[in-house]
Amino acid sequence: MKARTTMKAETLSVEGLTVHYGGVCAVRDVSFEVPAGEAVGVIGANGAGKTSTLKAVMGLVPRQAGALRFGDLDLSKVAARDMVRHGVGYVPEGRHVFAGLSVEKNLLLGAYAKPWKAATRQTLGEMYELFPVLGEMRGRLAGALSGGQQQMLAIGRALMSRPRLLLLDEPSMGLSPKLISEILVVLQRLRAEGLSMLLVEQNAKLTFEATSTCLVVENGIVAMTGPVSKLRHDPRVRRIYLGL
Amino acid sequence: MQVTLQTIIGGISLGAVYALVALGFSLVYRTMGLVNFAHGNVVTVGAYLASTFYLSTKLPFALAMIVAIAVTGVIGLVIERVLRPLENKDFDLMLIGTIGFGIVLDALIIMIWGATGRAVPSPVAGAPIELFGLRIRTYDLVVLAIAALATVLLVLFLSRTKRGAAMQAVAMDHEAATAVGINVGRSNAIAFMVGAGLAALAGGLVGPLLYVSPTLGGALGIKGFAAAILGGFGSIPGAVVGGLAIGVLDSFAAGHFQGYSELVTFLVFTAIIMIRPTGVFGERTVNRA
Repeated sequence: MKARTTMKAETLSVEGLTVHYGGVCAVRDVSFEVPAGEAVGVIGANGAGKTSTLKAVMGLVPRQAGALRFGDLDLSKVAARDMVRHGVGYVPEGRHVFAGLSVEKNLLLGAYAKPWKAATRQTLGEMYELFPVLGEMRGRLAGALSGGQQQMLAIGRALMSRPRLLLLDEPSMGLSPKLISEILVVLQRLRAEGLSMLLVEQNAKLTFEATSTCLVVENGIVAMTGPVSKLRHDPRVRRIYLGL
Repeated sequence: MQVTLQTIIGGISLGAVYALVALGFSLVYRTMGLVNFAHGNVVTVGAYLASTFYLSTKLPFALAMIVAIAVTGVIGLVIERVLRPLENKDFDLMLIGTIGFGIVLDALIIMIWGATGRAVPSPVAGAPIELFGLRIRTYDLVVLAIAALATVLLVLFLSRTKRGAAMQAVAMDHEAATAVGINVGRSNAIAFMVGAGLAALAGGLVGPLLYVSPTLGGALGIKGFAAAILGGFGSIPGAVVGGLAIGVLDSFAAGHFQGYSELVTFLVFTAIIMIRPTGVFGERTVNRA
């Protein structure tokens, strides 16, 4: 995955993002940036609009935005299924692996948008190195994996397309503290390799460890934003999101 | 013993046709999560097209079949295209849409070919083969061989090709499939096209075995549907086993219960399904809310 550091610098910029479901406004006028090579977190309670924000960036829900760009590319004109072809990988909430297909097929489908060649095999090898447990389970049906293994598979599947920006939706959901720390190690390694990340999480502790800048979303609007070093010491954030 | 074996052989060729019908049901279900209720009617269309090309246009039987499969495949594409807007609204609506489309096809069949049926002569001449005192019609062997070949090709397509894997992924998780770059609409279109092609194959092959009439697809559709459920809906080997089982069951029931044979077939089917609701090869392949 060394090639990533030499990729052109692309910033994800989101301005005035709004999402409506019927008459209900889930996200209102949210703006943020994910500079190339940076990891940005979005924390908030259940129903605050975190997942909607991520799905809106991905184009999986109808959205309005003043600007929605990835580098020079206008994302508002890109269909959800083409995002991966522009270097955006997506790890859905609740894992959503292809339960009836093998682990290896799941990973290979992550590279669906590219021809399956020797390079794909090589990326597959890298995934088994990053997640050794997936290598051991490569022939198993994805539905038969544990929650933690499925989460790793979902991340691995997204990485198979060699994205330049990774969107992650609640990778810690339903996992034990031990597994959460394993996921954290992976996220930190990806970050060190220069992969841009947008991480949506209820788990503020994990998010603060994995990212450098964070947005706090409440009721569909950005309540607070700033570097993790600062948010970590904010009394309100400490009380509500860190339970201190 | 001899009689029993002869009965089994008698049921296998129709069973192979049921298997082909079941394969169409299972393929669309496995790749879309949808039960295509128009499938039986598409079988009728395929049967009429194949017999028309064979009898009126005087094409050789094999060529008539290929043309019929191609034309019916296009009809499958049209069905998917018309129903596509319903998919994103409410999946149940799409299911009901297939029922509606079936009725439309039925009406079109009667408009084009009339309400009376036609007999199709067997394309394979020659006396039945005698083997260990059993009589086997050559055409039965042809049907069996083609059904086997279609099954093998379908299994290879789903298990060995990228497109096959992607099509199954769509039924398992719509959103994740989109995120990895799969064009869900195109995948569904291919599912409907191949499903319709299988329907035409079944309809064309059954022409010389049964009488081609507007009710043909209804009868074959319900047997194929039962076969798919018996084997485990969505399972490819299950569709084949289910089809052959229903065919043999039919043959026995016809020999022993004459007029009540259909009743007996479906009573046995119901009993098996009550004991094993997931079918023989029951597996969870579809995750549709």
